[in-house]
Amino acid sequence: MTGYPEGYTSPRPAWTTGRGLYNALARRADVAAKYFAVFLLDAGGLAALWLLVTYAYAWYVLDITAYILVPWWVFALGVVEGAILWESLGRSWGQKALGRELTPVSAEATPIRRLLYFVLWNLFSLTGIGFVFVPPLHERWSGLGLRRERPSSQAPVPWYRTSAGLFVAVLLVVTLVSALGVTLTWESLRRLFTQAGQTVEFWRALVRPDTTILLDAMRDMIVTVFMAVLATLFAVAVSVPLSFLAARNLMRGPVGRPIYTIIRGAMSVARSIEPIVWAIIFLVWVTALRSPFAGILALWVHSIADLVKLYAERLEAIDQGPIEAITATGAGRLSVLRYAIVPQIVNPYISFTLYRWDINIRMATVVGLVGGGGIGQRLINYIWGVQYRQAGTVMILIVILVWAIDYLSARLRAKLA
Amino acid sequence: MPTPYLVIDGLTKVYERGQVHALRGLSFSVEKGEFLVVIGLSGSGKSTLLRCINRLIEPTEGKIWLDGTDVARLSAKRMRRVRRRIGMIFQQFNLVDRATTVRNVLTGRLGYMPGWRSLLGLFSSQDKQTALANLERVGLRDKAYARVDELSGGQRQRVGIARALMQKPEILLADEPVSALDPATSHSIMQYLEQMNRQDGVTVIASLHFLSLARRYGTRIIALKDGQLVFDGPPKTIDNAKFKEIYGEDAEEVEVR
Repeated sequence: MTGYPEGYTSPRPAWTTGRGLYNALARRADVAAKYFAVFLLDAGGLAALWLLVTYAYAWYVLDITAYILVPWWVFALGVVEGAILWESLGRSWGQKALGRELTPVSAEATPIRRLLYFVLWNLFSLTGIGFVFVPPLHERWSGLGLRRERPSSQAPVPWYRTSAGLFVAVLLVVTLVSALGVTLTWESLRRLFTQAGQTVEFWRALVRPDTTILLDAMRDMIVTVFMAVLATLFAVAVSVPLSFLAARNLMRGPVGRPIYTIIRGAMSVARSIEPIVWAIIFLVWVTALRSPFAGILALWVHSIADLVKLYAERLEAIDQGPIEAITATGAGRLSVLRYAIVPQIVNPYISFTLYRWDINIRMATVVGLVGGGGIGQRLINYIWGVQYRQAGTVMILIVILVWAIDYLSARLRAKLA
Repeated sequence: MPTPYLVIDGLTKVYERGQVHALRGLSFSVEKGEFLVVIGLSGSGKSTLLRCINRLIEPTEGKIWLDGTDVARLSAKRMRRVRRRIGMIFQQFNLVDRATTVRNVLTGRLGYMPGWRSLLGLFSSQDKQTALANLERVGLRDKAYARVDELSGGQRQRVGIARALMQKPEILLADEPVSALDPATSHSIMQYLEQMNRQDGVTVIASLHFLSLARRYGTRIIALKDGQLVFDGPPKTIDNAKFKEIYGEDAEEVEVR
């Protein structure tokens, strides 16, 4: 800049710096995400409705199993165009669910404008090109845009007179109808009410416990508690540091946000795989039958996934005030963490940990059923061996244990609140 | 000619993605020992201005000369050293509710301690005595070991003042310190600020909502509107016309007694 008279050089465009480029991209991504969230909800909802209606129709009327009854491209086109049409001309359920509405930005929302919006969405937004511009092309040329729903002075229309309300109602009814048809038969209902006598041997066994196995069962129960304790403790050691990396409010900017996204994504995948599946994976992995270790690993992985989510959500809800105040005293970043953040999260973290430990005790039993060691394994062995008296004894013990731990952890958590 | 203690020069703040202009080229200066009151409607930029001075918010443009240093350009490490000299109290008090009163007050010393000592929580016995003395000064010695969430609003703000006192500040930023309090408590809090200003010679910059409080305690008033300076002068010179210019045509003055 030196050597040039004032105003001779134009300032550098913002997007030529790294930060400026990131901001520009982030703004576009924000806008696109806002539109696509609504679109995906609508298209997904319409697709679900189509599938369910077809399924019910094929099941009851045609007596076959079918899902769309038309070529797949007709289905795809119908769902996508239907969603866009719904968003353009009416108030879609996606808009309603996310609290947005199509509002006039620079022009009146006449039917013609709305139709134009529909066409432009197809041309530019569906292809993604429109979102290179801010505001996006379809918004710029139609004069209409999705905005946060504004409070209206008119009384709200009752749900049964809005397209979104009717849509959800129809979806619920169709789901119920097809689900009932698929899972229930008259035969199975009749059995539920007439065949209770078949289980009498089991109930009889339950009230005549076999006390000779008590000591062995107790030993396995201790193993189960140990499994839960170890899995929880190891999970805490990993989850506490990870939770800071998985908290949206602490992970900002071009470096932080991807880390946040990756960890949160990995955790939700790990959480969606049930501990029993993890147990089978680890049983194969560490190749040992009757192995509490595999059970611990299974609980550990699932606990981490669960705890990171719980912890991180707590971190996201902390009061920013103390952070601001401690920063203002001239304290360093670690001191801010220690004096403004940690005091706010210690008790909730302990509370979540106790809660997870409580879950792990129950889960440890289930994990044992597939060979993960502990009391669950003993139970399944008795059941397979048709030793109902012994199985009943074990079940009584499990109920007592779970009840006691449940009570203990609830009391402790109440104390921490 | 000696330069003023604090000089704000062309201060601008744009919130990045929303493209909201909170401050637009603000310039003024503050002498040592002044009690400057900042008034203006909500959203006029009062909070942003105060937070730019100790860089809780990064200014977009402009200079902030504090005692001859441009605070706006300091590295994060040097900024921490400067922050020690700048006390701050907040509308929502910003205390750690789960901790005891004295612990909250002690955090005012964190800027002066080496990192490892603060991480281990090793406050010196002298700091602890000063903390108790400062609580005594704001009349909360008997609440020293009570948890902050047991205190009332006025008591919490006094804890905030004691925390700021721990820094032995040269300048105190008060961001709407009495907006969450009732009128009687408001006066008590403002009197503590006045005392700091007169006895300890602390320069005070406070944003206030009520003009009556501003007139009663300020030695000088500046008014912001849409991030720009619309008034700068002694309290007496704000007349009705000026008031309407700052707060809009429909505004009526409300007294706090």
